Amino acid sequence: MSDTPATLGDDLTRLEEIVRRLEDDDLALEEALQLFEEGVGRLKGAKTRLADAETRVMQVLKETGEDGALRLEPLDG
Amino acid sequence: MSTPEEAWSVQRLARTIKSRVEDGFAPVWVRGEVVGFKRYPSGHWYFGLRDELAKVDCVIWRSAAGRIDTPLTEGTEIFALGSPSVWEERTSLRFSITRVMPASAVGAAAQQLEAVRKRLAADGLFDPSRKRPLPAFPYRIAVVTSAAGAAVHDIITVARRRWPGIELVVVGAAVQGEQAPAELVHALAVVARLPGVELCIIGRGGGAREDLAAFNDESVCRAIVACPVPVISAVGHEVDVTLADLVADLRAATPSQAAEFALPERREVIERVLQLGAGLERGVTDLLAGRRDRMQRTRERMGNALLGRLHAAERRLHRAGTALPTALAGRVRVPRARLDGVAARLRPAIDRRTDRAAADLARLAATLDALSPLAVLGRGYAMARDAAGRVLRRRVDFVPGSPFTLRVGDGDIDARVEES
Repeated sequence: MSDTPATLGDDLTRLEEIVRRLEDDDLALEEALQLFEEGVGRLKGAKTRLADAETRVMQVLKETGEDGALRLEPLDG
Repeated sequence: MSTPEEAWSVQRLARTIKSRVEDGFAPVWVRGEVVGFKRYPSGHWYFGLRDELAKVDCVIWRSAAGRIDTPLTEGTEIFALGSPSVWEERTSLRFSITRVMPASAVGAAAQQLEAVRKRLAADGLFDPSRKRPLPAFPYRIAVVTSAAGAAVHDIITVARRRWPGIELVVVGAAVQGEQAPAELVHALAVVARLPGVELCIIGRGGGAREDLAAFNDESVCRAIVACPVPVISAVGHEVDVTLADLVADLRAATPSQAAEFALPERREVIERVLQLGAGLERGVTDLLAGRRDRMQRTRERMGNALLGRLHAAERRLHRAGTALPTALAGRVRVPRARLDGVAARLRPAIDRRTDRAAADLARLAATLDALSPLAVLGRGYAMARDAAGRVLRRRVDFVPGSPFTLRVGDGDIDARVEES
């Protein structure tokens, strides 16, 4: 199972906030640079997520493992 | 227009009638009264269905007759599912029935459905305020449906088109038949145990009305409500709204539509990201440009003030320089040579002051340049930061022996304070 976190929504929300803050003229330079750096990082994250073009299809197997844990296997879609 | 030369054979006529009647005639439920029921030795059942205005001959083939437990005695009102078929040899039409329900049972089912609806409504489960918003960008989506059904395929197809980078986890369950409610409830419990699932689609592709019973089941509805993530119902029946549709956080008419509701269009999101990137760049550029303008204005104001004072001083000196010889000449007779000497000494004094002012101005300009944020973006400006990222501005910020980072135009340099 992949552990890719679904942070795209967070990234976009935060980016919007950063762009808004950068428009504030009274923003301290140091803070502006930090925001810019963070913004670039989040932009990269969002682009990576958007570049993901594979739809993975898994299936939960009926028979669970001995420990009762769920077992998944790829399903040919 | 037909001509005698092109006359059809009788068989062709019979066959054409047969195909016109049978092709594309979807099975339909008919309500009527049983008349003239006959059980033939072949195992097929023959009877008529009628109401006040019409009568249709019916047949239940042996293969279907074994599964029917409703007694078809004279005058019984039944619901029958079937489609018309034509027996070619005699061009006789019969309504070929595959399922039968006593009308009383249908009434009972409707009553039961209404009872369940009332109980769910009394618990507030249809309340619109209970509906949870869907996640904006779900990554892992659980799909509760028949693993062999068309729904999975439809959802995958839509996902690949709209938003490919996701993971679908199919939790198989029977969607019709006696096992269906229990399996659907179990599958929803499995969804709750799957890590990282943000959204659940439950449904089936297509299906006749009586096949939707599982989605009107009370335990299934309550399991949908109990699901820890938002649920989209996709029962695949445009006309009928099931109770599952009513308790789900969102109702989609089909599995494809459920996937469309669940997933944003990637193209639109890419557009938004590009706009945000441009906004980020513009934001920081404008910010720096605004600061540069302010610096420029300050520099000009300070420069002008300095130059103004300098010019005033120069003018005073000049006046003194020219007035002095006259005054001196008027009072004392001063040798010309000495006067020349005074003028010669005054001149460098003026020059020295001018030079000093120019140097001040240059220093000021250099200071302003160093303060300009433009320098931060690249040219020969360095910013020292401690391990926590705080900017070190004063000598006291630099603790001897402690490491710090020097930020220059193209990256960071690890540095250490030699002495305070």
